[in-house]
Amino acid sequence: MMRSAVNGLERLLEVEIPRCSVILVTGAEGTLKSGMVFGMISNHIAANGEHGLYITLEQSKESHLRNMSSLGIERRDELHIFDYRDMRREWADRELDMIKMTDEVIDFYKDRYGSLTVFALDSLNALYSISEEAYLRKEMYNFFTSLRDKELTSFLILEAPPLMMPGPFHDYYRPEHFLADGTIELGMIEGKGVVKRYIQVLKMRATRHAMEKHQVTIDENGINILGPIY
Amino acid sequence: MWEETLTMTRTVNMPDPCESDEDSCKKFFDRSIKTNREIFILYSLLDKQMCGYDIIKEIFLKFNVFLSQGTVYPILYTFEENGILHAEYSKGDMRSKKYSLTPKGKEIAEKYINEFIKSMEQITALIQR
Repeated sequence: MMRSAVNGLERLLEVEIPRCSVILVTGAEGTLKSGMVFGMISNHIAANGEHGLYITLEQSKESHLRNMSSLGIERRDELHIFDYRDMRREWADRELDMIKMTDEVIDFYKDRYGSLTVFALDSLNALYSISEEAYLRKEMYNFFTSLRDKELTSFLILEAPPLMMPGPFHDYYRPEHFLADGTIELGMIEGKGVVKRYIQVLKMRATRHAMEKHQVTIDENGINILGPIY
Repeated sequence: MWEETLTMTRTVNMPDPCESDEDSCKKFFDRSIKTNREIFILYSLLDKQMCGYDIIKEIFLKFNVFLSQGTVYPILYTFEENGILHAEYSKGDMRSKKYSLTPKGKEIAEKYINEFIKSMEQITALIQR
């Protein structure tokens, strides 16, 4: 699934992504992670008559929709957006189990819309920052398993430096990387005085895919993936 | 008790044959409320404006059942989207979003609550020995 959900994504994916995959979408700030995921899900559910759930921990629903609209990405009615703003404000003096809560929110939408097949979490960093670190590794394993058990194709956004970057910032051994079925990296590359955005599929289980960085552009129709950047 | 409950993880299972009648009864009671949580949320809002926190607290204090945040807030958002609830941030306090029933919501709430009471009465009458 998803191969035709963004203009040019078929340049990267030779075959469809298997359903129920858990995919990490990583990259630094400003690399269009939220836009790419939201656009993909939105187009996919519109084309297939399914429902999706997008949980945003960092922004309010209204602010997220404004951002998406500024990128030319439309929201479909079948894409349900849930933000934690009210919950976190009202329960500010309590420690909330955000992973359990996210699981319950998914269950609610899944019960209500039987054809809920796609899920996105924006972002894992925000989830980590408000979760208890001691149990995080085990909880993440259970969370990933539960997403697959619920038969959801899931996109988890993770703000991180480029994964191929050597040195102390190398982040590839975080548990979510080996728990995930796929990793898509978004980034920016500078050359000849021009900065270009790129997308690269680093890993996608059971899916033949290109390894090159491909250029990403935005126009009034949303996000486009062009040819290899080098 | 409200304070203690916030730190507890609660699960509802089938009654254990070894547990006391009181425990077993509490589990059925818990489950009835959790399964019909929409009704209890609407009931809480029948004649007053409340935020998610207040609703969870009121249901706990009245029925001794803790509805978790992850089940209550999605219901509130869905009811708001469907025009059953009206929501506004309190003047001078942007921290809590207060919900109240719209005229359509009030009609729906009263209908559902009455139907719930009737069906509970029917079940009781049918299984009473």
